[in-house]
Amino acid sequence: MSTLVKQQAPAAAATKALSRRSSSRRGRFVLNLVVVALMIIWAVPTVGLLISSLRPQSVLSSSGWWTAFAPPYHFTMANYRDVFHQAGIGQAFVNSLLIAVPATVIPLFVAAFAAYAFSWMTFPGRDLLFVVVVGLLVVPLQTTLIPILKLFADWGLTGQFLAVWLAHTGYGLPFAVYLLRNFMGSLPRAVFESAAIDGANHVTSFFRLAVPMSLPAFAALAIFQFLFVWNDLLVSLIYIGLANPDNLPMTATIANLVNSLGGGWYLLGAAAFVSMALPLALFFGLQRYFVRGIVGGAVKG
Amino acid sequence: MSLWLRRLAPLAVVVVVAAGCVSTNSSSGDDSDLHGKTVNVIGTWGGDEQAAFLKMVEPWEKQTGAKVKYTGTRDINTVLTTGVASGVLPDLAGLPGPGQLAEYAKAGKLQPLDNVLDVNTYQSETAPALVQLGKSDGKVYGVFIKAAVKGLIWYNPKVHDYGANPPKTWTDLMSQAGANQGAAKAVWCLGVESGASSGWPGTDWIEDLVLRTAGPQVYTNWYEGKVKWSDPAIKKAFQLYATDVLGKTYGGGKNAVATNFGNAGDPMFANPPGCELLHQASFITGFSQFKSHTAVTDYNFFPFPDIDLQYAGAVEGAGDLFGMFHDTPAAKSLMKYLVTAAAQDIWVKIGGALSANKNAADYPDDISKRSAAILANAKSFVFDASDSMPTAMNDAFWKDMVALTNGSKTVDQALSDLDSAQKDAYAS
Repeated sequence: MSTLVKQQAPAAAATKALSRRSSSRRGRFVLNLVVVALMIIWAVPTVGLLISSLRPQSVLSSSGWWTAFAPPYHFTMANYRDVFHQAGIGQAFVNSLLIAVPATVIPLFVAAFAAYAFSWMTFPGRDLLFVVVVGLLVVPLQTTLIPILKLFADWGLTGQFLAVWLAHTGYGLPFAVYLLRNFMGSLPRAVFESAAIDGANHVTSFFRLAVPMSLPAFAALAIFQFLFVWNDLLVSLIYIGLANPDNLPMTATIANLVNSLGGGWYLLGAAAFVSMALPLALFFGLQRYFVRGIVGGAVKG
Repeated sequence: MSLWLRRLAPLAVVVVVAAGCVSTNSSSGDDSDLHGKTVNVIGTWGGDEQAAFLKMVEPWEKQTGAKVKYTGTRDINTVLTTGVASGVLPDLAGLPGPGQLAEYAKAGKLQPLDNVLDVNTYQSETAPALVQLGKSDGKVYGVFIKAAVKGLIWYNPKVHDYGANPPKTWTDLMSQAGANQGAAKAVWCLGVESGASSGWPGTDWIEDLVLRTAGPQVYTNWYEGKVKWSDPAIKKAFQLYATDVLGKTYGGGKNAVATNFGNAGDPMFANPPGCELLHQASFITGFSQFKSHTAVTDYNFFPFPDIDLQYAGAVEGAGDLFGMFHDTPAAKSLMKYLVTAAAQDIWVKIGGALSANKNAADYPDDISKRSAAILANAKSFVFDASDSMPTAMNDAFWKDMVALTNGSKTVDQALSDLDSAQKDAYAS
């Protein structure tokens, strides 16, 4: 009997564990279901755009994209062909890269130095300066267009890539400094103190400690800034378009697919995917930096 | 820095003088000295229009060796305002309307064209009203590169051919449309959706009605802000729109608000037709089903009938004004070329545009030929009123036309709202 009881007890424990496990499994299943549902809802507009970009104009203007799944099937690559045949799209793509890469790298560097100084160096007026820089976040960039364009005209920069690099650096810096300072400021103080005791100066601890430990923040910021610059139309239209249309980025070329009365709108879906391709590739390429935590275990030893 | 500047200043003067000498020397030469020069052009044209414009300047580029750098943007107003304020401007630019032309000309930003164009030829080839719209203080500052006639009434000749007996008056139109409605569900096709500028097809309706019930003088005073919206002369047009148009619209006003202006005419081609008539400008032939059907056999138009006969022959139109900000030799040469019949014929032939030049006659079909004739022979020609109003007024007009069309505002509500918008819009 007793053995029976003894045998039953673990069995009961096992079933209890099983039921706990199954209930937690059920919980996870519900969670997964919710996440998947959210993802589907999130993706619907993009999927709709993708399908629309593959449908001919006559069909597009008479029925919704969801009807594309039922026969008769009307799919075409004509929209993509027209986008690629738009005059100067190749040059515009190169221009976009020439604008977006430096306009991402420059503010990232400047912001990294500034963020380090704001978090680990002590100098008079540090907090005030930081508040001023962050306060610039609320200045809408549209208000700066005219004075800055005047400045560029005096310097002879209008129509050149350098003008847009400088402008985007200025527009991107407040947020970049804010984000990086918050990240660097939350790094463990002990790391910097022990480095200082070992004789490291600020330059060393910036390059050896702060930068490697802040890589996830850099990656996130780089993606934000790159997307902002890549998708920008207004800034380049004003600083470049007025003086030298040859240097205009892809957004300008894409906007020009539509004529002044709105004709040609059906090409925009295809154009959106063409312009989305590079940022998407970049995102997937840098994705692992989002997930990887680098700070964990940094204080060991 | 200042020391540097002081040292450089005499040098700069020498360079400028030298450059001046060179340019004055060479301007007496032939066109070949433009080789390698560029002309920056900004306009609102994109897509097929951009392609047509570039095609149009191709012979000039070949002949002179100069190059046209074109930027298209539909935010021309923003770009030019910023450019004018900061002094960075393209050589040639499409101007949003006569209002901005006068503003930039008074500010000394636009260069007069009287010495650039062959004025006598230009005036003899162009409709006087269009020449007038490009003038400010007696000087020519802008020319129309492209024009459109507004207020054409389109029909499907297979349903009923109005060609033999086009309605002469509004009453005639309403009775003919009623008699020939046949299987059609309604008289009017209407669509006022157009993205951020939704409502403009409705403003065109009102403008055409005001022009023909109150005449060109009231029309001009109205867009200049000198006549109130609730004035009986303007109110009459709104009431006519509410009863004779909205009351007989395919699918009702709510449907019209949800229909893009480009697709508004589609029910006309259906069998049985949804509606009989579509009021729209000459450029509609480039849209939706008009594009896939044949002119004359599948669709045709008659001009907007007169309402008050003392104002007979008034026509409303729109167009793309072009002005010159920098008078470089290349820009002058291009400007001179653009208004010639030879250049205009290139765009005209491609289609989708009318020329302001009477001698550009290479129209691809009878329909564009007839619309061009209306433009050239108009007794009095007025520019699109909403486009001539201040931006704030224009926006309010668009919005209230949407509200009036879908029934969320009555005529009186819309007019009193527009009255209060008028008080602020003309202040600056």
